[in-house]
Amino acid sequence: MSARPQSGVGARTLRPDARSKVLGDAMYLADLRAPQMLHAAILPATIASARVTRLDTSGARGIPGVAEVLTSKDLGSVNRIGLIYDDQPLLVEDRVRMAGDRLALVAAESPELCREALEAIAVELEALPGVYDLSEALSPSAPKVHEAGNLVREFAVVRGDVAAARDGAEILLEQEFKIGGQEHAYLEPQGCLAVPDHDGGMRLFSSCQCPFYVRGAVSRALGLPLGKVRVVQSTTGGGFGGKEDYPNEVALCAALLSARTGRPVRLVLPRELDMQASTKRHGMLIHHRLYASADGRIRGVEIDILVDAGAYAGLSTVVAERANTSAVGPYAIDHLRVRTQVCYTNNLFGGPFRGFGAPQVTVAHECQMERLAKEVGLSPVQVRRLNAISPERPEFSTGERIESAERLSKVLDRVESLTRSKNAQAVAEAGDRFRWGTGVAVFIYGANLHHGGQPLDRGGALLHLQADGSVNVSIGVTEMGQGAFAASRAIAAEALGAPADAVHLTEVDTGLVTDSGPTVASRATLVAGNAILDAASQLRARLLPLAAELLGAAEKEVETGPGGFLAPGGRFVPFADVTALLYRRRIHPAALGWYRSADRIYDPATGQGQAYMFYTFGAHVTRVRVDTWTGKVDVTNIHAVHDIGRAIHPPALEGQVQGGAVQAMGWAIMEDLLLEEGRLKNPSFTDYLLPTAVDAPNVEMTFLEDPEPLGPFGARGIGEPSFIPGGAAIATAVGHALGIHVSELPLTPERVLRMLAREG
Amino acid sequence: MSKPTQTLLVNGRKVTTCAEPTTRLLDFLRDELGLTGTKEGCGGGECGACTVIVDGSPVCSCLMLLGSAAGKEVLTVEGLHGEDGGLHPVQQAFVDHAAVQCGFCTPGLLMNATAYLESGDPKDPQSVRHALAGNLCRCTGYAKILDAVEQASRALPAQGKEVQ
Repeated sequence: MSARPQSGVGARTLRPDARSKVLGDAMYLADLRAPQMLHAAILPATIASARVTRLDTSGARGIPGVAEVLTSKDLGSVNRIGLIYDDQPLLVEDRVRMAGDRLALVAAESPELCREALEAIAVELEALPGVYDLSEALSPSAPKVHEAGNLVREFAVVRGDVAAARDGAEILLEQEFKIGGQEHAYLEPQGCLAVPDHDGGMRLFSSCQCPFYVRGAVSRALGLPLGKVRVVQSTTGGGFGGKEDYPNEVALCAALLSARTGRPVRLVLPRELDMQASTKRHGMLIHHRLYASADGRIRGVEIDILVDAGAYAGLSTVVAERANTSAVGPYAIDHLRVRTQVCYTNNLFGGPFRGFGAPQVTVAHECQMERLAKEVGLSPVQVRRLNAISPERPEFSTGERIESAERLSKVLDRVESLTRSKNAQAVAEAGDRFRWGTGVAVFIYGANLHHGGQPLDRGGALLHLQADGSVNVSIGVTEMGQGAFAASRAIAAEALGAPADAVHLTEVDTGLVTDSGPTVASRATLVAGNAILDAASQLRARLLPLAAELLGAAEKEVETGPGGFLAPGGRFVPFADVTALLYRRRIHPAALGWYRSADRIYDPATGQGQAYMFYTFGAHVTRVRVDTWTGKVDVTNIHAVHDIGRAIHPPALEGQVQGGAVQAMGWAIMEDLLLEEGRLKNPSFTDYLLPTAVDAPNVEMTFLEDPEPLGPFGARGIGEPSFIPGGAAIATAVGHALGIHVSELPLTPERVLRMLAREG
Repeated sequence: MSKPTQTLLVNGRKVTTCAEPTTRLLDFLRDELGLTGTKEGCGGGECGACTVIVDGSPVCSCLMLLGSAAGKEVLTVEGLHGEDGGLHPVQQAFVDHAAVQCGFCTPGLLMNATAYLESGDPKDPQSVRHALAGNLCRCTGYAKILDAVEQASRALPAQGKEVQ
């Protein structure tokens, strides 16, 4: 074994963004100001389903220092902002469909004047019936959220003959799962600063994951060519999917106010409004029927899923597509019917959140596996191994042959060794008050965007060599805390032979780097990394002859080494000497690298085909202690097993896995979106409980490093996989501890006590 | 009549201001002094991102009014590093342990951790967790932050005087 590298891929280097963040120097959105800047604010609707009978802004317009007040009447067709479906206005037209819908925007000289202006707007709303119960959304008697009805779209997977599988089955397990949503709770609220440009264009600073989405939205709204809208990502204080599409809405508010006033406008959402109005993880109802033989082999599965989109489609259909494809989990099942229906309601706005629909369906399939194991007397690992995708039975729900299926068996081997210990047993203590249990959840993750998103799956990286050997790297995907900079720096350093500390990353500027699609779906390392490799190979072709000259060696003898170039006999030339010569010779010192994934074929009607670029696997083994008196669940230990391909930057990788596990724990036991007719009753961190340092469990990690042929230096993404099994493993652990079947999340004390009363 | 003024010490410098005493200390630091290292995450004293040290104690600067800080000594993240630009041991520990991800909670955590480590409170692992419980972090899962604070607690006793 070689020693751990000091620089480049696999090295435990310091995160490039850490120093500016600990000094307080990093510029987040609210830290930015522009000369003559106005502040902006939103007047939100406080009820979720209503007709607007009065909206009088004259009182606000008359206040000195209030520069602009906008309602939908001022916007015309610009007001339609739906990304996929034309169902969403920026400002309410005549119908309010969700609490937090925007009635009016104001821009004023100070935040205090903004508040005064909002209070001076006269609003009267006439309440209308609404849809607040997802299970009722598609009933013919339900009120219609939109004229065309409450079904947004339906997805399916159809394989084999599920009716015959049901008829021939000896075991039938049927369960309805009710899975709650989740608030992203990024610590930095949503925000945007719009600045008019001297040439009639607009510059926007945005706290976001997808600057190219923001650019597109503003370009459409202002009628500007893409080239005249420049979006610069500000240092972004967390995203988790919450800053995928929603920043478009924030940017549109700022951009329209800026265009109307001709002045810079900054909008930062107050936390309460951010929690009420921005997107959330979807609540889902999952009706799961599993048909098996007496020996534990699954013959068929039927799954019906209802997805709560809230009042607008947003990206809910895209999320639902992943839930639909992932619904059966990592199991080879010949007879299958999945139906996923995306529904309008007047509840919170559903949207992307780390895992993208997969965590919810994982709870359902893993709780069913646990039940099946019990039913046939197998261990949790035995029942999963019996049904897992394998080299002998490699077909996923999409009909694809998963060529990497042997990696799932390595995950299961690890899970088996973790669950064999006596520390994994269900035990009681303190006279049966506390019960301990261990849960397992295994998952399959389709890497990168689903087939439906493939047109967006490309990306660029601009590598710019400086004469002194430093390197500027501009990638088209964003750093939001997950470690995209650390991974990109390691890859660039390794590929060029530059010292890691000579590589400098820049936040995305849409005027500088090519449209690289969204920073979602655990694709940042994959996209940026592959684009960097392309650019680096162009540059190496220019650097190697120069290095050979300096080393007095033949070009084919020269190798890229850490921090420079090597030739036989221990000869070495530092990277900076070669770039200096590059400049003296006036050779082109920059390269734009490009990445695109191979085209795939897929049939949305049957869900059959190549849904994803490649697949990865993983599991959590989770230990809980449940207080049967109070219903409180304590998660004491999580062991995360991930098939990560290659650890590019180990500290960032660990941070993702630890952070994802704790975020999933929050979702599973603490975080409860309490709704009353669509209004969030707990829009604060006092009442919506997030895990603190006291709650965080011990997170252990096993990384299986079988390199990915399509990933840069063998890497696979980890952002979403880190979350996906978290809720399911806690649900199965609580089931194990209490000897019950868990069918609801979050497992708050009230729900645990209710389940105990019902089943225990 | 001239407006009444107030004086306070911010990062070792005397500041005299005629800003309204009802200004939130957070806004005074950020908007009047340009010390934007202190972050606003919730505005309600719930997330801890705006934590600064006032006369040695950690305080949510979104909940303290300027008038209440008059005559006191305020330390923000900008005042944490040494004169020579060298990182404070707590800052260094956060960098060393990759305890920083999105970084928005970081300044508040650094200030709370610094006040805690300089206090006489017990430093066993469970006490550290309780001391940091008022600072929410959504990225890290806290493991690396706890490691960093442990490293800093070993580094600090020797440097306690210098830090002052």
